[in-house]
Amino acid sequence: MQIFKNPNFDFMKFKFFAFGLSAIVILVGLLNMTIGKGINYGIDFAGGTLIRVIFKNPVPIDTIRSLLNSQGLGKSRIQEVGATQQEYIIRTLQLTGEDIQDELEAHEIIGNKVVDTLRPSEDKTNLEAGLLDLNSIDVQDLTELLPPELENRENIAQQIIDYRRVKGIIKSFEDLSTSLNLPPEALTALKEKTFLGNLAILSRETVGPQVGHDLRRKATQATIWALIGMLIYIGLRFKFAYGISAILTLAHDVLVTVGIFSLTNRELNLPVIAAILTIVGYSLNDTIVIFDRIRDNLRILRKDPLVKIINTSINQTLSRTIITSGTTLLTVIALFLFGGEVINDFAFTMIIGVLAGTYSSIYQSCAYLYFWNTIFKPKKGLRK
Amino acid sequence: MKKNLRWKIILVVVVIGLCLYLSYPPGEKIHLGLDLKGGMHLVLQVLTDDAINIETDQAILRLQEQLKKEEINFENITKGRLGEIILTSFDQEKEGQLRKIIDEYFRDWDSSFSGNKVTLKIKPGVATYLREQSVRQALETLRNRIDELGLTEPTIQRQGIAGDRIIVELPGVDNPERVKEIIKTTALLEWRLVIAGPAPDKETLLQKYGGELPPDLEILPGDPKRTQGGYYLVQRVSPVVGKDLRNARRSIDEWNNPAVAFTLSPDAGKRFYKFTSDHIGEPLAVVLDGKVQQVATIEDRIRDSGIIRGRFTQEEAEDIALVLRAGPLPATIKYLEERTIGPSLGADSIRKGLRATIIALLLVMGFMIFYYRVSGINAVVALILNIIILMGALSYFKATLTLPGIAGIILTIGMAVDANVLIFERIREELATGKNVLSAVSSGFSRAFRTILDANITTIIAAIFLFQFGTGAVKGFAVTLIIGITASMFTAVFVSRIIFDVYLGKKKKIKKLSI
Repeated sequence: MQIFKNPNFDFMKFKFFAFGLSAIVILVGLLNMTIGKGINYGIDFAGGTLIRVIFKNPVPIDTIRSLLNSQGLGKSRIQEVGATQQEYIIRTLQLTGEDIQDELEAHEIIGNKVVDTLRPSEDKTNLEAGLLDLNSIDVQDLTELLPPELENRENIAQQIIDYRRVKGIIKSFEDLSTSLNLPPEALTALKEKTFLGNLAILSRETVGPQVGHDLRRKATQATIWALIGMLIYIGLRFKFAYGISAILTLAHDVLVTVGIFSLTNRELNLPVIAAILTIVGYSLNDTIVIFDRIRDNLRILRKDPLVKIINTSINQTLSRTIITSGTTLLTVIALFLFGGEVINDFAFTMIIGVLAGTYSSIYQSCAYLYFWNTIFKPKKGLRK
Repeated sequence: MKKNLRWKIILVVVVIGLCLYLSYPPGEKIHLGLDLKGGMHLVLQVLTDDAINIETDQAILRLQEQLKKEEINFENITKGRLGEIILTSFDQEKEGQLRKIIDEYFRDWDSSFSGNKVTLKIKPGVATYLREQSVRQALETLRNRIDELGLTEPTIQRQGIAGDRIIVELPGVDNPERVKEIIKTTALLEWRLVIAGPAPDKETLLQKYGGELPPDLEILPGDPKRTQGGYYLVQRVSPVVGKDLRNARRSIDEWNNPAVAFTLSPDAGKRFYKFTSDHIGEPLAVVLDGKVQQVATIEDRIRDSGIIRGRFTQEEAEDIALVLRAGPLPATIKYLEERTIGPSLGADSIRKGLRATIIALLLVMGFMIFYYRVSGINAVVALILNIIILMGALSYFKATLTLPGIAGIILTIGMAVDANVLIFERIREELATGKNVLSAVSSGFSRAFRTILDANITTIIAAIFLFQFGTGAVKGFAVTLIIGITASMFTAVFVSRIIFDVYLGKKKKIKKLSI
């Protein structure tokens, strides 16, 4: 089976169209990043607090928004996880504290306020009555609270905690006791001394401004160094013209990826930077395969003009370009669809990057090579 | 079978066997990161300027003492910039004596005289040493405190260009607020004589002195949790400090309220005995981290043990005893970053990550068999071996598997078969030129190899920079990607070739290759 049987497309014919298309995408991206809405920095870079909560019963996003609004926390970003109206990620608004030293603490205070606002008064009454929240209790306290007559109370406590770990939040005592087959005296003790809180905190992350500042510098440095590393490697393996074309292609891929990313509502966090650096390493693969072939064909098809040799080379390697990118794309799509919320931005960035990389190997890299050759006319040509 | 081939097969079997042994069962052998296991990740900064300031304060006291002894008059001693002492309008006739004092007692300081003014500046080497010491000591203290908490597998590391950052990772923490409080407390314990107070504000206390306090007194706030709040005027010196403690534990007072019992070292005990003898009937404040915890009248001489009362809860008494036992921090600690991941979110991430991995694996395998038929099976075998090697290497290097790390595995699945694709496409091309199967396979492998090497090296270069820059979870991604791609060179090139050799070796006169 083959995708293309002896393909013979004239890719070079579209070089100006491709340049135009890329230029528009990159320009729109750059404009958006500079004078548009800018890059949406996540907490890793901008600092702030990210709280992920789960509710026992569904709460519509509008209710959450108006609750936060009423406490002056209206600027928080609220994102729903899944479609059950139970899980939310809330990022509190950025602070530019007067005293940068205390900014982290200010973030925390706001974080506490968010949790406090979302917690229904029913829970607060229960807490004040001295009951413990079974949805946040730790295993030690839980063990102590079970009647000492129960021989395996450590086990029971651990089972309950494990149950909570799987479910995220315990919905009712009945579910709990039937699932775990709890002894009646344990259940009675639980009902007597605990209540099921309406809200559990799944994760909470606070990043101070200094970390974000350092990280931004380090991320930029790492990307630039990786590009230089590529340049050196390609320079060692190929002639200069190829190296320059490869780096231009890479820069194209990074700019397109970052540009499209900035147009979405997604936040720039560490995993996204990881994806961009991976693109730097990966998107060159297809280009190298094509360049290798151009170099071979320059030897074999001496008489053909450069444009024709380039076209032949792209066509000869077309199926492997498509398949290698295709398998990688399959895996990142699987990650995008099934990998969960935490890794979603990473997968999304990889998808754009892989697509941009494939497109640019075919439509951009060789055009750069061609123009370099026409403009600078290297003495020995592109043959090595 | 050729002898050469037999050895290659043995090598592969040994490698795979070893990796299976290393990584089985994965639940125990693979070390999970905090994002998958749940726990707390803290980045702290030691404010090393504190260490310099403390040294400066002590030097000022020493200088005052020496000037008094030598009877050198002066107007003022002040702190300049960080690590700077300025002595103004000293008696210039005694400059020689002053220089002698500085030579003898201030070897760690550079001095510059200009008229009747001297500026002492701490030597850069000494400052670096003090900073280094304060980080080390902070590290040690934190380690003690965290050990006392009895958590499993905590890690505490230094980081940062200046080396003043400390990363604390605590898996499976139930009560993050409590842990944070314990880590952050400086735990500097002092006993100060109370001159006046409590007063509602500082001004009331200052009035008696006309707004300017004598140098041996200072005003401290009461800890709102333990006292009625307000301010106290106290003496600056403490007869004994936290360092002099031999032990501290949670206890109860005579009314059965939680309290902290302490024991002093014998030497400090003598000092404290003399001090309390001299001041019977006077009020004494227990000060922790610059906040008054309790004020009590000295009723009797205290030698080497006593208790601190202060409206503690059981847990607070326990925690204060803990930090006192572990010793004070040499400098203030600031939180730069704090991440708490609940265990249920971690479990959820593992579930979803595994699901995505399996789906990606099935998709890629399905495609390879569909597109390359029998040869596709070869690629699938290579892919499975690749993942086994990746797991084995992860547990051998004790690398941490994080959620981005799982993403790295998934990417490896997609990228590892790239090598197979390049080889197979090359073989197809060779077959199309009319070569026979054996030589087509052979030249397919050799001609694709260079391209594969190039492609993988560029990816690894980028991953290395990512590893350099990344923190925690992202490092995990770089590690799995580097290992996975390196392993793919072995499986997709070396192992695949063996499989072809075995397959083609059995059928001597093969005419057609299913590819």
